[in-house]
Amino acid sequence: MNYFPDEVIEHIFDSIASHRDRNSISLVCKSWHKIERCSRKKVFIGNCYAIDPERLIGRFPCLKSLTLKGKPHFADFNLVPHEWGGFVHPWIDALARARVGLEELRLKRMVVSDESLELLSRSFANFKSLVLVSCEGFTTDGLASIAANCRHLRELDLQENEIDDHRGQWLNCFPDSCITLTSLNFACLKGETNLAALERLVARSPNLKSLKVNRAVPLDALTRLMSCAPQLVDLGVGSYENEPDPESFAKLSAAINKCTSLRCLSGFSEVAPRCLPAFYPICQNLISLNLSYAAEIQGNHLIKFIQFCKRLQRLWILDSIGDKGLEVVASACKELQELRVFPSDLHGEEDNDAAVTEVGLVAISAGCRKLHSILYFCKQMTNAALITVAKNCPNFIRFRLCILEPNKPDHITSQSLDEGFGAIVQACKGLRRLSVSGLLTDKVFLYIGMYAEQLEMLSIAFAGDTDQGMLYVLNGCKKLRKLEIRDSPFGNAALLADVEKYETMRSLWMSSCDVTLGGCKRLARDAPWLNVEIINENESNGMEQNEEDEREKVDRLYLYRTVVGTRKDAPSCVTIL
Amino acid sequence: MEVSNSYSPYSSSSVDSTKPSPSESSVNLSLSLTFPSTSPQREARQDWPPIKPLLRGKLKGRRLVQRGDDTSFFVKVYMEGVPIGRKLDLCAFSGYESLLENLSHMFDTSIICGNRDRKHYVLTYQDKDGDWMMVGDIPWDMFLETVRRLKITRPERC
Repeated sequence: MNYFPDEVIEHIFDSIASHRDRNSISLVCKSWHKIERCSRKKVFIGNCYAIDPERLIGRFPCLKSLTLKGKPHFADFNLVPHEWGGFVHPWIDALARARVGLEELRLKRMVVSDESLELLSRSFANFKSLVLVSCEGFTTDGLASIAANCRHLRELDLQENEIDDHRGQWLNCFPDSCITLTSLNFACLKGETNLAALERLVARSPNLKSLKVNRAVPLDALTRLMSCAPQLVDLGVGSYENEPDPESFAKLSAAINKCTSLRCLSGFSEVAPRCLPAFYPICQNLISLNLSYAAEIQGNHLIKFIQFCKRLQRLWILDSIGDKGLEVVASACKELQELRVFPSDLHGEEDNDAAVTEVGLVAISAGCRKLHSILYFCKQMTNAALITVAKNCPNFIRFRLCILEPNKPDHITSQSLDEGFGAIVQACKGLRRLSVSGLLTDKVFLYIGMYAEQLEMLSIAFAGDTDQGMLYVLNGCKKLRKLEIRDSPFGNAALLADVEKYETMRSLWMSSCDVTLGGCKRLARDAPWLNVEIINENESNGMEQNEEDEREKVDRLYLYRTVVGTRKDAPSCVTIL
Repeated sequence: MEVSNSYSPYSSSSVDSTKPSPSESSVNLSLSLTFPSTSPQREARQDWPPIKPLLRGKLKGRRLVQRGDDTSFFVKVYMEGVPIGRKLDLCAFSGYESLLENLSHMFDTSIICGNRDRKHYVLTYQDKDGDWMMVGDIPWDMFLETVRRLKITRPERC
């Protein structure tokens, strides 16, 4: 490999962005490893406890962009205590001390404090982009630091975070000299917004392409914002309490008409049912529509709107659209690639006609042949429907089905849904992510192990009969990286059968299953390169009480491979074996 | 055969439930899945269905506002100085006006909200963060989402 000087090789590597490809490149030879590591700009760390900041900086001294993920996925569903961990501060601290030229930080499910944000804002002169997804622990004071100190800020994207809103003036903290914003998303903030400051900010940001406001931004303010930012591509609407009077409606329509570049629409979380008509003019341009918070808009209004969105590629919607609505989507949205249908009623009313069923899913699969990702919450399903869906859409990469009632069988035959999911994994050869639900026996896992060769992430809830089910998956799915299981009868035999398997995976989650403390201890002993964490219900150290009883079932188990051993920041409700 | 629309969250751990094999499923289903569908227990499920907290909160709040026959939301109401409180169904009111009117009648005194009038009792509420706030500042729908209890306070306190 000495044919080219290092600079040339580096130049070639520059065109390779995927971190997986770069990881492969670095394994070719020592020389390539060195060139790659010194030239890598973007680093992705899927589990912040698998590695530590010092080793990261040691290997990639020139990094400019860092992505970190903290809590396990099931933390989204209240299964992980808030204090579990995933603190970003040590990372920012280490990067600051090493004077890394950080420009972009993307965090998911991490704990971020105002101090961390302050430190971040003061330590990296060229900092450009902050993306926080499902994070918590900070307030608008932290946002004020970012606004005030990051002179070259381009992107501030806050998605679904728990932010303590001090109703301060964080928007005012952007200096007048800040004109570089391209993306601003504060939809998840619950408090009031300084509208004047927001309008001034938008007015002096000619490059602003994405703006997502929170519910405190009313209609007239939205109109003014859109008027001074007709270049917007991505808009998140705030509140829309009452039906606008004709004059306000006219002004809004005029502003919307000018936004000819608008391609993505979201928000609508505090809305009057009849607010969508103002957006009719831009329907045909939309490629992404997220109405999953618009619980007030009834199905028929949704249908009227969506039927004109002929170019739609991504649709996130509530099940209030109904099967009928999905049939309309199937006939209108031929470019659809990603669909998410969320439940609109948590209490499972039997006579809720509006919810979706297998009928809607089949219609979508028949009409939208480009569909590759689906998340579908429904009240019932059949094997026949799943088999049809598999035939219609063999290109699924992500298939997540959640039948609202656990253990529910095929509602026509009363059989388990093994055959239906079996058909999906057999037909969809490129399937990378799968979530199963309904009544399922070990057989479905036999199918998954046999056919789901590209599967990387599997979510199981209330499924299976014996350890064999889990074993089928562990033995069969060679590319499996994340396995999360809840409320299923898998125990120690499955957990301990192939300990080395976990070295090829990022993590395993098991909650309300049959694994015991003894089994977990044995695993921790056999695999010292794993962190085996037991999360207990209550604060008091469950280990004390259960010292004698290794047959005690473990409430929540989370294990992951790591090169840096046991973490030091675990709270008292977490025991690391 | 009617499949009950409920489930047992404990079906796989401590209870020794033999999972029905497919051939038995049509017989055993409802037996292994019984769960008293009383509202407190149904309401308590925070981890199912698997949706993110923001959507969950949004849907919960919406439920309170829907005017079904069986929808009710009782909160405790205390008047300062009176140890025994009352209970009030907030879903019975369409807005702040009807709430105040009803309260004034219930406690036989003039109650207002929003204004710091030294003469009248003022209505306050405790929100889901535990803070005591003046009633009337936020839209009625938002109020229903966040209110936990009510207190009729003497004017000087505000």
